[in-house]
Amino acid sequence: MSTRRERSPTSYALAGPAGLWMLVALVVPTLFIVWVSLWVARGFTLASPLTLANYGKFFARPAYVHVLGDTVQQALVMMVITGVVGYSIAYFLVVHVRRPGLQLALFLGLVVPFWTSALIRTIAWIPFLGVNGVINQALLAIGAVDRPVEAFLFSRAGITLAQVSFYTLLATGPVVYTLRNIPRSLPEAAQCLRATPLHVFWLITFPLTLPGVVIGQILVFLNVMADFATAQAIGGHKYAFLGNLVILLYESGQFSFAAVVSVLLMTTMLLGVALLLKVVDIRRFGEP
Amino acid sequence: MAGEPDLELIDITKRFAGFTAVRRVSLVVDRGQFVCLLGPSGCGKTTTLRMIAGLETAEEGEIRIAGVRVNDTPPWQRDIAMMFQDFALFPHMTVARQVGFGLEMLRRPAAEIRRRVTDSLAAFDIGALADRKPDTLSGGQKQRVALARALITEPRILLLDEPIGSLDYSLREAVMLELRDVQRRLGISFIWVTHDQNEAFSLGDRVVVMNHARIEQVGAPEDIAERPRTRFVASFVQGTNVFDGTVESVDGDHIRVRTPSGSFLVPRPDERSPSAGEPTSFSVRAALLTMRPGSEHVNQVRAVCHAIEYLGVIRRYDFRLADGRSLKLEQFTGRDRRIGEGEPVTLGWRIEDGWLHAPPVEPA
Repeated sequence: MSTRRERSPTSYALAGPAGLWMLVALVVPTLFIVWVSLWVARGFTLASPLTLANYGKFFARPAYVHVLGDTVQQALVMMVITGVVGYSIAYFLVVHVRRPGLQLALFLGLVVPFWTSALIRTIAWIPFLGVNGVINQALLAIGAVDRPVEAFLFSRAGITLAQVSFYTLLATGPVVYTLRNIPRSLPEAAQCLRATPLHVFWLITFPLTLPGVVIGQILVFLNVMADFATAQAIGGHKYAFLGNLVILLYESGQFSFAAVVSVLLMTTMLLGVALLLKVVDIRRFGEP
Repeated sequence: MAGEPDLELIDITKRFAGFTAVRRVSLVVDRGQFVCLLGPSGCGKTTTLRMIAGLETAEEGEIRIAGVRVNDTPPWQRDIAMMFQDFALFPHMTVARQVGFGLEMLRRPAAEIRRRVTDSLAAFDIGALADRKPDTLSGGQKQRVALARALITEPRILLLDEPIGSLDYSLREAVMLELRDVQRRLGISFIWVTHDQNEAFSLGDRVVVMNHARIEQVGAPEDIAERPRTRFVASFVQGTNVFDGTVESVDGDHIRVRTPSGSFLVPRPDERSPSAGEPTSFSVRAALLTMRPGSEHVNQVRAVCHAIEYLGVIRRYDFRLADGRSLKLEQFTGRDRRIGEGEPVTLGWRIEDGWLHAPPVEPA
């Protein structure tokens, strides 16, 4: 249970600097973007009348709505994959690797690649997935295919593959934390009450790690929704998500339209998070 | 099969990386017995309990429940239940769901589960808590829920790992008596692990004293307290004075033992006769020492009163002997010979009050 303390003037003073920073760096720019999305004028003028016409234009163009749908779909696919893979990794690390040293070594092994920049990690996938890339060479060598497969690079599957490698650990971390907080006696007590390992998992372990699962899903959802670099580097110019659309419109000088897409992106993300938080009470994260 | 003992352990051994937790432990628990595994932490008592439950595997030896070998039977197929020190209540389940969990796993019909859960909650006086989650319960309530949950499948044996260790002291006495009543009423075997000899002595039909992965002694509480088989058992039991020394001479029914505090006579054990020069030890219950030795108190020693503890019914004196070792004496408070701290006295005890120990359990 969280303990609520009286809010003293000191606590407000302590929250002040961070609050001010958030206001300047986050709240004001966000409001500004919302404001810009309501402009009619193409150029930069504060005198423009405010209208929802830009939003109407967005939804009138099937190609744009399609991008919105694709982005949400990609996020959902990624949540399913990273949810299953991430949970499996967490379960393996916590439940099966009992030796703390090995646990740490494996965890470091998973984390080390993230010490390089996201850009390099993304670009590194190109020689891996390409027509003459590692995967194709390997498939040719073992005779699984006659000709290099072109579908790896510049494909939705390629993007998904790369994103899984980037974001799975986001789903793993919180689950590791919640798994570790389950006293060993709980699954043992269930076993002594005639529960098979499968029952123990679905009736005891999984429900107790649900807050960790949801937090991981929120992290993955937000990151995939906001990801534009992976689609650009690995999808070529064949695939666009909302983030890519923002850049495209911004670079072509359509600021208010770029703002519309940004606002829609933010709204979708907020809705997604709100839905996920319906599943569990996140304030109880970390309780056994 | 009615005559089969509830549990048989035959030479079971458990090794963890680097050490042996349980070494060749054998024990038979007859039907409906209350057995306490008593010992200091790390002695192997909890590991033994966990092997009976199937939560640890025995590398050697055999475990039989109701006459059937269960070494390769997983916990969920053994006819046991277990209560954990932290109660191990499932935090996301209501009390009613929790208590019915075992029946749910046995795939009993929903109506039967509801009925039996209601009965059980009523029997343990926790009916009002049916819809509560564990984090809203007090320690005593949690303990009842854990007990109701463990017993609902009507197991042959209930294993209890320090089941009242996490309760307030004020609750323990009442809970102990209640658990004892439950065990008597159901007639199932309880195997109760504890490091508290008061628990073990007041509850157990039999007490199993463990040390260093082995059983040191199995017996009724009075056997353990009055006739400790080894030096370890004597030193572990409160209110016992232990003397170390060597056998000086054996004459008839008596053995003279030389100790740094003097030479004393103890009865010769029935089953063996130690030879002169052999290192040995013996014990004398603190309650059997007297501050007013008469002619029958053959063993006498000079001592100075060091500290006095008032324990209600009894008063416990801590004396210091000339060689610096401590000697405890317990007397009913009504019959005190009032002495003060720092006062010198002569303490005595009869030959038959001494008890010679068997040699220590070989560490092999």
